[in-house]
Amino acid sequence: MGLFDWAGKLSRRGFLAGGAATIAAVAVTGTTILADPKNAAAADTTGLTAEESRALLRFTRDLFPHDRLDDSFYAKAIAPLQDEAAKDSAIRKLLADGIAQLNASTMASAGMAYADASAENVRVAAIKQIEGGAFFTKVYGDTITPLYNQPELWPKFGYEGASSAQGGYLHRGFNDLDWL
Amino acid sequence: MPAKFDLSDSSVVVIVGSGAGGGTLANELAQKGISVVVLEAGKRMELTEFKNDEIGMFGAFTWLDPRTTSGSWYVAKTSPDLPAWICKLVGGTTVHWGACALRFQEHEFKTKTAYGDIAGANLLDWPIDLKELAPYYDRAELKMGVTGTHGIPRLPASNHGKVLFAGAKKLGYTKYMTTNMAINSVPRDGRASCQQTGFCVQGCTYGAKWSTLYVEIPKAEATGKAEVRSESQVLRIEHDASGKVTGVVYADRAGNLQRQKARLVAVAGNSIESPRLLLNSSSSKFPQGLANSSGQVGKNYMRHMTSTVFAIFDKPVHMYRGTAQSGIVMDEARLDTKRGFVGGYQMELLPQGLPSFATNIVPGGWGRDRASIIDSYANIAGVWLIGEDLPRETNRITLHPDRKDKFGMPIPNIHSDDHPNDLAMQKHAFAQADALYTSIGAKRTVHRLPFPSTHNMGTNRMSEKPADGVVNRFGQTHDVKNLFVSDGSQFTSSSGENPTLTIVALAIRQAERIAGQMSKGEI
Repeated sequence: MGLFDWAGKLSRRGFLAGGAATIAAVAVTGTTILADPKNAAAADTTGLTAEESRALLRFTRDLFPHDRLDDSFYAKAIAPLQDEAAKDSAIRKLLADGIAQLNASTMASAGMAYADASAENVRVAAIKQIEGGAFFTKVYGDTITPLYNQPELWPKFGYEGASSAQGGYLHRGFNDLDWL
Repeated sequence: MPAKFDLSDSSVVVIVGSGAGGGTLANELAQKGISVVVLEAGKRMELTEFKNDEIGMFGAFTWLDPRTTSGSWYVAKTSPDLPAWICKLVGGTTVHWGACALRFQEHEFKTKTAYGDIAGANLLDWPIDLKELAPYYDRAELKMGVTGTHGIPRLPASNHGKVLFAGAKKLGYTKYMTTNMAINSVPRDGRASCQQTGFCVQGCTYGAKWSTLYVEIPKAEATGKAEVRSESQVLRIEHDASGKVTGVVYADRAGNLQRQKARLVAVAGNSIESPRLLLNSSSSKFPQGLANSSGQVGKNYMRHMTSTVFAIFDKPVHMYRGTAQSGIVMDEARLDTKRGFVGGYQMELLPQGLPSFATNIVPGGWGRDRASIIDSYANIAGVWLIGEDLPRETNRITLHPDRKDKFGMPIPNIHSDDHPNDLAMQKHAFAQADALYTSIGAKRTVHRLPFPSTHNMGTNRMSEKPADGVVNRFGQTHDVKNLFVSDGSQFTSSSGENPTLTIVALAIRQAERIAGQMSKGEI
């Protein structure tokens, strides 16, 4: 998953036919989606229903639960998937079916749809039933990098990111540790 | 001025690959006035194209061509399509390497003698020893500007290093320091000194780190004796009726097949691509593959016992600030077969930026436990445990029976099973790293099993006898006099050290051999 999952992803997307240009295109697409907040809003109107998108966001948050992050970060993380669902009915079905399974599971255990189940343990139990399946793997693999590769998110974890333009960390604390 | 050679010019030396081995060999030969054509499968990038962007640079220059995996190794489970994390561009993996430049230890050239016979391992002594290689290590260190050698000052310790050293001291270790790095600690060789950017792996934007891309290759081109053709993937090496190689067939950037004639061919495509090329060059004269009368081409694939420990403290570390790998503990790299395993391991800093860390810390994991590790990111220190893994005939590169790349060349399969010795060493290393960090107050440690391999070695190994290996003491194939191997696939054993310095030292030495034999008309 994540960084090292790219090789498989690229070959599935036609790397064999497209060669190096495809690599560049994939890399650029990733950044474009992250940089363009309109993508998230636009995708809500087609493909997944608003309810399904809400469940998908909740599911992504449950996979990668950080209380310090508001929903906007998760909305950006699922935007590429929403786009894909709008364009590809097979993906739309995979996501909708997965969400339906989560809903069925929480309905049975708590009488509520997945996104409405306020108790985390109820939702976690539902995820455990689908862990490793096609829906789980698709959402996990496609949201983890868009989630954590948002520069606006990094400061919340104490990561300062690119340093070269500021002259590196040579004069900005590379050796300022004083608690040892 | 880069040279321009004709495809029919059979006086040139063709070098396949432009990384630590190929790039160095090209410059060494060009400096001696020998004409060189370097064929590099990847594209050429400029320093100004490197960005402090983990995900973007991973996509820009990682070798992502299709590969398959088999065997019990962890990487085959977690990253089956990407067994190795190496680069596809001019400069090869010297663009991405951490620049840790260590010499092998004396006993590591003689593992069969030092360790004895070990069941399930294919140990062999190198035909050369440390004494023989020492002058070339000197030249490699001077060429690369290795800190801590030849009066070149060491880099300063970062926060991340301070944590490692404090733990090492508490644990009673004595051999810890900022590592011998091929990174300028002072301006040198027309290049800047390290600015502690922390993005060594994404391509050093200051050019402070040695890489063949902007050090050896431009120097080679400046002689007027070297031509580098990028986006040119060699598919086959050809030979005449006598068995001498005559040139190579490659796909150029337009996808057209070209035939470059050659007086001599040196293969330096790394330990996966080099045996792949030799195996794919089989003929009626060499039915098992070129230079493979021993049957050892592709076998004895080694990748180091590599594992990582991340330790969570209650105070900030900011591991991403500063030279990535600039701290080492060398105490466990000693010759001591009484620890329950043979071979030794180094403990080297391994920071990750947040995107890389968060996506890779626990592959496939999810939920609160995993997220809580990432929540502590600013307070985390990480150490990479790299140790000698043993050669096994069954750990090998083979040509895939069905799958081919876009040029019709069979893709490689990488098979590896952990030897019990590797696992015993890993267990020991995890325990020591845990102890090191908890001794200075770590609240929690997390073990990360191997990433895709960055150290790939051994698949065309060096041997005294032609029956035991593929190349002789100069990297010249036993079977074909004008065919050389110039990368880490020559390694007879993997040692506990990072391979690049040894690859460079061997390439410098090999250039002398090639020039000497050419001037005598022997090749």
